[in-house]
Amino acid sequence: MQIESHYKKFTLLLVFVAALILVAATNADPVYTDPYKLEYPDYFGNRISIPDHNPTTKQGVYLGRMLFYETKLSSSKTISCASCHQQKLAFTDGKAFSSGINNVPTKRNSMSLANLLWVRNFFWDGRAKGLEAQAIIPLNDAHEMGAYLDKAVKDLQKTKNYPALFNDAFGSPDVTKDRIAMAIAQFERTLISANSPYDKYLRGEYKPTAAELNGMEMFMNSAEANKNIRGASCAQCHGTPKIYMELFHNNGLDSIPKDLGRESLTGMANDRGRFRVVTLRNIELTAPYMHDGRFKNLEEVLDHYNEHIMPSKSLSVTLQNRPNDVDGKSLGLTATEKANIISFLKMLTDSTFVNNPKFSNPHIKQK
Amino acid sequence: MKKYYLSTIVLALLFFITISQSVHAQTVAKEAVVKVEGEVLKPLSLSLSDFAKLKHVDVTMKSREGVLQQYSGVPIFDLLRLAGVTVGKELKGENLTKYMLVRSSDGYEVVFSLAELDPSFTNRVVILADSKDGKPLADGVGPFRLVVPDENKPARSALEVTNLIIRFAKD
Repeated sequence: MQIESHYKKFTLLLVFVAALILVAATNADPVYTDPYKLEYPDYFGNRISIPDHNPTTKQGVYLGRMLFYETKLSSSKTISCASCHQQKLAFTDGKAFSSGINNVPTKRNSMSLANLLWVRNFFWDGRAKGLEAQAIIPLNDAHEMGAYLDKAVKDLQKTKNYPALFNDAFGSPDVTKDRIAMAIAQFERTLISANSPYDKYLRGEYKPTAAELNGMEMFMNSAEANKNIRGASCAQCHGTPKIYMELFHNNGLDSIPKDLGRESLTGMANDRGRFRVVTLRNIELTAPYMHDGRFKNLEEVLDHYNEHIMPSKSLSVTLQNRPNDVDGKSLGLTATEKANIISFLKMLTDSTFVNNPKFSNPHIKQK
Repeated sequence: MKKYYLSTIVLALLFFITISQSVHAQTVAKEAVVKVEGEVLKPLSLSLSDFAKLKHVDVTMKSREGVLQQYSGVPIFDLLRLAGVTVGKELKGENLTKYMLVRSSDGYEVVFSLAELDPSFTNRVVILADSKDGKPLADGVGPFRLVVPDENKPARSALEVTNLIIRFAKD
C-alpha cells in the first residue's frame, strides 16, 4: 500500500511537471498582436508579397508609422523617411533629387510609395528584394540619413515610448535594426491607393468625360496604323488596373545614359539605362518625372514618348516602331490626344490616399 | 633590413595583383546565360556556347505583322529533361500540377504547364531559340527567346529569356 501511494505521488508530480513545461512552452510565444486587414479591390489581384516572418499586425503597422516619421533615425535628428516621401505628394518630395543629411543630392529621384504590396524588387534598379531589405538602405546611407542606424537603435532603446511599442509589436522591448525595418515595411504595405476616379469608374461609380475616355482608350491601345487603330501603347508597360507591372525598361531618355541603371547591378549590357517602370497612380502629384527628375510636368513626359525617344541597343522594344501613321517614324499623337491622355492620367489621383489620416504623421498628434 | 626588403616585395606583389584584377574586371563583360531551376534534379546555367552544343530544331512563327519567320533553337522539353524535370513517363499525378515560369531580363514573366511542353501530350514544339533566319537574335530579343508556334498572340514568346523556373502550383 505504502509503495502504491508513493507511485501515486510520483505520477502526480510527473503530471504537474509536464503541465508546467507545457505552460512554459505556450508562454514562449506570448506576443498578442491583432492582424491588420489589408483592404484592396479584387481587380488588383492577390500577387502580393508579405514574408512569413513579418505578418502585418496593427501593432507593427503603428510602430512602423511612428518610425517612418521618426527624425531620431537620422544623425542630425532632422530627417525621417517622410522627409523625401511626403503624403500630400503621394509620398514623393517634389524635387528632382532629394537632399539628405549633408545636402549631397541623392543619385535618383524619390519614388512614390503606393501599392508597394505588389512590388517585389525595390528602388529604381530593383536592387532590394522585399520592403524589409529596402527600408534598411536609406537608413544606412551616409548621405540620406547619415548612416545612423546602429546609434539610432541605442537612442530609441533609451526613449520612454519605443521599448513598449516594440514589445507590443514583436513581443519584447528590444529595439533592433531588423525590427525597425520590419515595422517600417509593415506600415508601407498598408499604403494602398485604390480610390481614384479611375477606381470609381471601374466600380461603375464615375462617368468619365469624353476627353478622359479618349485618353483612357489611347493609353490602353497599341497603334495599328494599317488598321487605322490609334493608340499610345502606354498599357504595354503600365497596364492592368493597378497601372503597374514589375518591369525594368530603357525608355529612350538617352542614347548614352549617364546613369547606367540596372546595368550597374547586373553587369549585363542589355540592362544599360534600364529603370523601373513606375506605377502611374497619383502621377499628377509626383513631378518631376523619371529617375533623374528631368521632366517638370506631364506635358514634357508625353512629348518625350511622342517625339524624343533616343535610340540605343537596350531601348525597350515596346517603344520601337509603334507609329500611329503609316510609315510614321515616331508615335505620332496629336496635341488633343496628348492632352486627353493627361486627362486620363489625372483620373489616377487618389485624394483619399493623400489625405488618409492613417498614413499621416503620428508624432504631431502627441504634441 | 632583410625583413624590410621582404615586406617591400610582398607589398609590391599585392599591388600588382590588385591592379591586374581591376583591369581584368574592366575588360571582361558578363556573359548572358539562361538558367533552368526550381523543381529540377540538376539546375542548369547555359551560356550561348553551351547552348550551341545542344541539338537544335527549326520552328516557324508569325511575327506581330503576320510574317512567317524561321527560328532555330532547343526544344524546351529537351532542356527540361537535361535538368531532370519530371517530364515524359513521370508527367502524371501531382507532377501535372507543375508549371514553368519563364522570366525575361526586363522582369516580364509568363507560365506554361509542363503538359504544354511534353510531346506525349502535344505535337506543338516550343523552343528556346538562339537564332532567326540563320542569324543571332537582335538586341532586345536575344540572346535567347521563347518561340511558341501556333498561338494567336505572340505574348508568350518571351524575349531576352534568362530563367526557366519549375514550380508546383500551390494554394
